[in-house]
Amino acid sequence: MAAPTTTERPATPSTQDLAPARKGRVGASLLTVLAWIVGIGFFFPILWMVLTAFKQEADAYTTPPKLFFTPTLDQFRAVFDAGIGPYLLNSLFATVVSTILVLVLATPAAFAVSLRPVKKVQDVLFFFISTKMLPVVAAIVPIYVVVNDIGMLDNIWTLIVLYTAMNLPIAVWMMRSFFQEVPKELLEAASMDGASTARSLREVVLPVISPGMAATALICVIFAWNEFFFAVNLTAARAATVPVFLVGFITSEGLYFAKLCAAATLAALPVVIAGWIAQNKLVQGLSFGAVK
Amino acid sequence: MAEVEFDQASRIYTAGAKPAVNRLDLEIADGEFVVLVGPSGSGKSTALRMLAGLEEIDGGQIRIGGRNMVGVPSRDRDIAMVFQNYALYPNKTVGENMAFPLKMRGVPKEERATKVKAAAEILGLSEYLDRKPRALSGGQRQRVAMGRAIVREPQVFLMDEPLSNLDAKMRVSTRTEIAAMQRRLGVTTVYVTHDQVEAMTMGDRVALLKDGELQQFATPAELYDKPANAFVAGFIGSPAMNLFTLPVSEEGVRMGSSELALPRSLRSRITEAGLSTVQLGIRPEQWTVGSNGDGAGVKAQVDVVEELGSDAFLYAHLDDGEQTPVVVRTGGRSGARRGDQIALTPTSEDLHLFDPSTGERV
Amino acid sequence: MTVTAERPAELTPRRPDRGPGSRADGWVRRAPLLPALVFTIIVTQLPFLFTIYYSLQSWNLVRPGSRQFVGIDNYILVFTDSQFRQVALNTVLLTAGSVLFSLILGLLFALLLDRAFLGRGFIRTLLITPFLITPVAAALLWKTVLFDPTYGLINFVLSPFGVGATDWISTFPLTSVMVALVWQWTPFMMLLILAGLQSQPHDVLEAARVDGATSWGVFREVTIPHLRRFIELGIVLGAIYLINTFDAIYMMTQGGPGTASANLPFYIYQRAFLGFDIGQSAAMGVVVVVATIIVATFALRLIFRSFSGGEET
Repeated sequence: MAAPTTTERPATPSTQDLAPARKGRVGASLLTVLAWIVGIGFFFPILWMVLTAFKQEADAYTTPPKLFFTPTLDQFRAVFDAGIGPYLLNSLFATVVSTILVLVLATPAAFAVSLRPVKKVQDVLFFFISTKMLPVVAAIVPIYVVVNDIGMLDNIWTLIVLYTAMNLPIAVWMMRSFFQEVPKELLEAASMDGASTARSLREVVLPVISPGMAATALICVIFAWNEFFFAVNLTAARAATVPVFLVGFITSEGLYFAKLCAAATLAALPVVIAGWIAQNKLVQGLSFGAVK
Repeated sequence: MAEVEFDQASRIYTAGAKPAVNRLDLEIADGEFVVLVGPSGSGKSTALRMLAGLEEIDGGQIRIGGRNMVGVPSRDRDIAMVFQNYALYPNKTVGENMAFPLKMRGVPKEERATKVKAAAEILGLSEYLDRKPRALSGGQRQRVAMGRAIVREPQVFLMDEPLSNLDAKMRVSTRTEIAAMQRRLGVTTVYVTHDQVEAMTMGDRVALLKDGELQQFATPAELYDKPANAFVAGFIGSPAMNLFTLPVSEEGVRMGSSELALPRSLRSRITEAGLSTVQLGIRPEQWTVGSNGDGAGVKAQVDVVEELGSDAFLYAHLDDGEQTPVVVRTGGRSGARRGDQIALTPTSEDLHLFDPSTGERV
Repeated sequence: MTVTAERPAELTPRRPDRGPGSRADGWVRRAPLLPALVFTIIVTQLPFLFTIYYSLQSWNLVRPGSRQFVGIDNYILVFTDSQFRQVALNTVLLTAGSVLFSLILGLLFALLLDRAFLGRGFIRTLLITPFLITPVAAALLWKTVLFDPTYGLINFVLSPFGVGATDWISTFPLTSVMVALVWQWTPFMMLLILAGLQSQPHDVLEAARVDGATSWGVFREVTIPHLRRFIELGIVLGAIYLINTFDAIYMMTQGGPGTASANLPFYIYQRAFLGFDIGQSAAMGVVVVVATIIVATFALRLIFRSFSGGEET
C-alpha cells in the first residue's frame, strides 16, 4: 500500500542538506530517500487519479482503497461517449491560435523594448505587467456585456482574443529577456555586412531566440489550455473548452469517481506531457531571463 | 580601397558633458594600417564605431574616399569590421558566416562559394567550413571573423581589439598574421587596441588618444623617440619612461643632492622655454649603471631585479630624500641584487624634456 | 600634433533627419511595439472604463428597464456589505497563505533537488506535474479522490490516527482550497528557486568556502542573497495568478458554506452571473482594482528592481 507516503511531509529536510561533511554518505543517502518520498508523495494524487481512471466504478469505491485491480478502458470510452471530443478540439484550437497570436504580437514588441529600444522602455514594460496585476474579475462584467452585444457569446474567437490578451504581457517580458541575451554586436555585424533591419532580424536574431520563443509558447499553451474563468462565463455548448466540459461532467455524472478521473486525466494529459518534455524551457521562460 | 579622414569629428553622449571623442582630426592614407591606442575611456573604440556607423557623428565629418559619412548607415559604407568577441552568427556554419556579407549584397551563389573557399584557404579554415562557431577554438573563431571581413573586399577594415580574447602566445602569432595580411591586401585598416605593444608592432602610424583627445598621431618610432607630451612618453614603452620633475640648475637639473649635467642642446631648449623647473624623461635603457663608489651619477638603491634573460630591469629608488622610484634596463645577468647601492648616469644625449605645467614637449 | 583641450561649448548631440536618433527613426523603433500595445489597451484597459461606468448605475439584467444612473450608491452598498468584507479578507488570506506556503515548500523541495542523486530528473518531473495539471482537474481530484469523507485518500491515510470520516471541505473550506492551491503552486516556486540555486556562480561559492564559511554560512551569506530576486519573482508572479483564483473555489466549495470560502473573483462572479446585478458587481470590481493597484505598486517596484537592472540608469 503506497498510500501512507502522502503523510510524509518534509518536516525538516533542508537543514540536513547543510550539515557538516562528516555525516557524509549516510546523510546523502537519507536526503536521496527523502527526495524520493517527497517526489512520489507529491505526485501520488495524480498517480491515483490515473489509476482510478482505469478502474471499474466498483473498484473505485472501496475502503480501503484498492491498489490492485483489472484495468479497463471503459471509463475513457464513457468520457468520449459523453462527447469530450468537440471540447478537446475547441481547447486545442483556442490554445494554438492564441499562442501563435501572442508570439506574433509579443516578438516585435519585445524587440522594441530590448535590442532597438524605444524611449520610455520602463514605462512600456510597467504597463504590460501592470495589466496582469489587475484582477480579471473586474473586467468580466463589461466583457460579458460587450461580447453579448456584438453576438460573440459562445464563440471560440472570443476566447482566442481574451487568451491572447491574457498571455501577451508575460510573453513580452519573457521574449524581452531572450532578446537581451542576443549580443548587440551580432546586429552591428549584420548591419555592417549589409543586412537591413528586417533581414538581420530574420537571418541573425530569430535563429538565436527561437529556443526562447519555444519556452514562451509553452507557457502560453499551459495557461491557455488550463483557463477556466473566461471559458465558463462566455461559452456554452458550441465553443466551450475542456475545463468547462469537466464541470458539466461532474454535474451530470455525480460522483462516479472513475469516470471523473478518466475525464480529468484526459483534460490534463496534453499539457502535462508537453510540460514534461520541455521542462527546461519551462524554467527558462518562468525565470524571465534571470537564468541563462 | 580608400583614404579615411576624421575632420573635427566629435561624439557627445550627453549634452554639456565632456565629449567621448572631441574634434578628432586624422588623415589616413589609402592602404595604411593605423592603430588607435589609449587607456580605457580614451574614446578610441568610440572613434572606430563612429567610422563604422555604429555611433552618431555629433560634430564635424568623417569621410571615406572623400565621401561624407554623416547620416550614412553602416551597410552603405562599404566597410568590414572584426569585433572583439567576433560576433559570429551562432546558428550559421563557418562557411555561411563568411558568405553572409556577400549574400546580403546579392552576390551569386557560385561566386560566393569561390570567394569563401579562397578566403578559407588563406586563413587555414578550409576543413572547418561546415562547422558551427561554437565547435571552434578561440583562435579559429577569430579567423572566421577575419574571413568574414576579407571576403567582402571592403574599402576599409575596422578591427576592435580583435586579439584581446586570445591567449598570449596566440596573440603574438595572430598579430603578425594580421599585419602581413593587411600589407598583402593593401586595404586601409583602422585597428583599436589598448595594448601599446600591438600598436607599436602593427601600425604604420599610431594615434594615441586620452579622454577623447588626440595626443599624437605618428609612426611608432617617432612616438617612441619624440613623444609629443609627457602622457605619450609615459604610455609608450614598457617599462614606462622615468619622469622626474626637477629644478633647473646651472649645468642641468638638480636631482636630490647631486646635479645632473645636461648637454648644451637641451639646456638651450630649457632656456628658450623660460622654465625654472622641468620634467625630465629618461627611458630605462638610457642609463649607465656604476657601483656606488664611483662618485659620478645619481645614487639609488635596488628594490627589485627582474631578470628576463636577454636583459634585466632594476626597480630602484633614488637617494633624494623622497625615494623617487626609477627603472633601469641593464644587460642580462647584471649581477645586481636587492639592496645594492648603484650610481646612475644618463647615457644618451636624447633625453626628453617636458613643460611640467602643460606636459608639452620642450 | 597635439590638440589642446579647448572645450567646444557649442557642441550638442546632433539630431539628424534620418539615421539613428531622428524622428523618423523613433517611429521605426515604435512600430513593432504598437500592435501589441494597442491590442492590450483595447482588450484589457477599455473594459475597466466600462466597469467604472457600469458601477455608477443600478442595472440588473433580469429586470429589463431597471437601468438608471445612481451615482455612488453601489459603492456605499459595497462598503456596507459585511459579506464583501468577509470575502475580501478571505481573498487576502487565501492569496497570502497560498503564496507563503508554496514558497516555503518550494524552497525546501528545491534544496532537496539541488544535489546530484539517483533519479533526480525523474523526481523533478514528478514534482512539477501539479503545476501543469489543469486547475479544474486538480480541484476535482482534491474534492473527490482526496477529500471525500467516505472514500477519500486523506481520511484513509489518517484513519490509523483516529481521524474519523471528516468532511474536510465542509469543515475547513478555505483551508481545503488553500491546500489544493499550495499543491499546485509549490512546483512553480520550486522551479524558480531551483533555477536560482543552479545559477549560482561556482567561483563565489568556492571563494566563500575557501574563506572559511561553513555550509550554513555559505547558505546564509551567499545563497540566500542570490536567491532573493528569484523569491521576489515567485512572490509577485504567484500573487498575480493566485489572487485571481476561481477554478478551485468554483469546483470545490462554490464559495460556501455561505461565503466562508468565497474570494473576490468568485463573489463578483456570483453577483454578476447568478445575481445578474451588473452595477453592484462592477462597483466591486472597481474597488478590487483600486486595492490591487495599491498593492501592485509595491510589487511592481520589487519586480523592476530585481529584473530590469539592465537598462535602469
